[in-house]
Amino acid sequence: MAEDLLVVDDVKKHFPVTRGIIFQKQVGAVKAVDGVSFSVKSGETLGIVGESGCGKSTLARCIMRLFDITDGTIVFDGRDITKLSRTNMRPIRREMMMIFQDPYASLNPRKRVGQIVGEALEVNKVGTASETKRRVQELLEVVGLNPEHYNRFPHEFSGGQRQRIGVARALAINPKLIVCDEPVSALDVSVQAQILNLLEDLQQDFGLTYIFIAHDLNVVRHISDRVLVMYLGKVVELAPKLELYEQPKHPYTGALLSAVPIADPERGRARQPIVLEGDVPSPLNPPSACNFHPRCPRFQAGHCDVVDPPLYPFGDGHIAACHYPLERWPLAADEFRKPAAGHPPAEPTPVS
Amino acid sequence: MALLEVNDLKTYFQTDDGIVKAVDGVSFSVEKGKTLGIVGESGSGKSVTCLTIMGLNDRKNTITSGEALFNGENLLTAGSRRLREIRGNDMAMIFQDPMTSLNPVHSIGTQLIEAVQLHRDVSKKGARARAVELLKAVGIPRAERRADDYPHQFSGGMRQRVMIAMALVNDPDLLIADEPTTALDVTTQAQIMLLLTNLQEEFGSAIIVITHDLGVVAESADDVLVMYAAEVAEQAPVEKLFRRPFHPYTWGLLGSLPRLDTDLERLVQIPGQPPSLLRPPNGCRFHPRCPYVMDKCKQIDPPLVPISDDPAHLQACHLDETTKDREAAKLLETTMAQAI
Repeated sequence: MAEDLLVVDDVKKHFPVTRGIIFQKQVGAVKAVDGVSFSVKSGETLGIVGESGCGKSTLARCIMRLFDITDGTIVFDGRDITKLSRTNMRPIRREMMMIFQDPYASLNPRKRVGQIVGEALEVNKVGTASETKRRVQELLEVVGLNPEHYNRFPHEFSGGQRQRIGVARALAINPKLIVCDEPVSALDVSVQAQILNLLEDLQQDFGLTYIFIAHDLNVVRHISDRVLVMYLGKVVELAPKLELYEQPKHPYTGALLSAVPIADPERGRARQPIVLEGDVPSPLNPPSACNFHPRCPRFQAGHCDVVDPPLYPFGDGHIAACHYPLERWPLAADEFRKPAAGHPPAEPTPVS
Repeated sequence: MALLEVNDLKTYFQTDDGIVKAVDGVSFSVEKGKTLGIVGESGSGKSVTCLTIMGLNDRKNTITSGEALFNGENLLTAGSRRLREIRGNDMAMIFQDPMTSLNPVHSIGTQLIEAVQLHRDVSKKGARARAVELLKAVGIPRAERRADDYPHQFSGGMRQRVMIAMALVNDPDLLIADEPTTALDVTTQAQIMLLLTNLQEEFGSAIIVITHDLGVVAESADDVLVMYAAEVAEQAPVEKLFRRPFHPYTWGLLGSLPRLDTDLERLVQIPGQPPSLLRPPNGCRFHPRCPYVMDKCKQIDPPLVPISDDPAHLQACHLDETTKDREAAKLLETTMAQAI
């Protein structure tokens, strides 16, 4: 078994909401990430899915230490990086990189490709100018771009090519962990496939570890080894890929899976989507106890809105935070709404 | 007679760099109560086709030819006054981005009332009643009160519902939805697609859905048009397109799709980028990216013709049918292992 490269323990990120101009008074907090724990093994890909506003991107930025977290600990490669100062953080930054969503906004339009990709090398004082140039050209080739394009500007490239530049930049100083925040959601399907294949090849060649954030469940299934589902800043389910897609336990995961259109007319039309009512509630004022309860088709009054469900284990590293987990999958709509009697477990055995 | 019949539609834009052939000879028809899906990558001409039909292109720099017969009337030669009468009344459009297609300084109610009063001789009170009725029809809770809210007070999914309500104001015969769910989360997407299907059943309108999501097309369309570089690559009833795809570009699209229900070893990728429409390649426009390219493809642009045993299934490719049947079967085997 490979070692844990990253351990995230009970991480919280609350953004204060203040009132007043001179005498600022905190009147509340947006609980963007609210007690998230997971670990990532060396060489694996952890997918993170959830609707917009569920805290996926905030979590990514917390891991990268781009935000200071409110509470919890982050251990990277055996070192607690939660409270490291900027100077102490610097050598660790070389080992974790990020690929951003929007290839149009994440590249400086006034810099040449060579400068963009080589910046990390320069900042970390790796090699001389000519070595840097050679390394950059090598990287461009690795990601499938023409090394001759070293002196071009980002606007001369298409969306897919720009995302390749983003990948080359992330690879520049041989990181161990790459956090990909929606790396393909702005791309067309054919280009999306090129980038996904590239990421897989690079993982094999360089033994990379990925945290892959996306809202497209198809993409996440394709690339991940394990998948974490978030809702309103909390983990609702975490499981190995096949477990999650074939035996989801949390009703939210079930609803997400059933909502994805299938690119096959016959099966697509036979699918019975469980349509969730309403929108994701505001993280400023989240619902009591299980924060999915106002939208949950299996909601049981007096339980779900009173007792916050812990993450119950379902074997094989599969955990889900629900008092009334799905019995099997797929479930017909009426079965989905009526949890079988006998649940929940009489003696809850939450994961410590 | 079809509700909308488009014949050899061409839309060219004059730019400083030359003429961009954004739509180059597209033909299709839509029957009442049916849904046509148009798929293709960005820049393939899907949206421009629909904007041209609606007469929403800037007339100054646009050269249009061909015809678009709506109930027998050619929209391309209709005057702007007549077009204004038709738009919003007999046909309506739902735009992609609900965040930017609503006016932020007017309340939702005001914007809906305007749409009603433009086409109907009703009092403001009557128009408001109609607006509230529509907001209810698209599933906005407390419609009476929410009509006085401004766009920023609605979430993305709710705004898209408002857009749909606005398009439905005068019970249009034809509804054009340009990427109606692209900006939305899956759960919201499911709500909106369900809403569109229910409304179609209720009002019997024809719908054109423009999308790049093959899942949405598979589930909602009756016929599908696959566009590549301003031309139609393949056109077929939806089951045919997914069961017996006949164009290498369609294979590329289907193969590059990650699937929720099947584990693919590796995605098929279409190499390269879509071509520039300023200087499209000679011959078949897909040939620089096509794995089956032959000499002929580089010189002669393949016409859109029916396949020999199925007149409803059109495709534009020089490859022989035996090879295509074999390749299509191979593709389906890998991508839909569980289904067959």
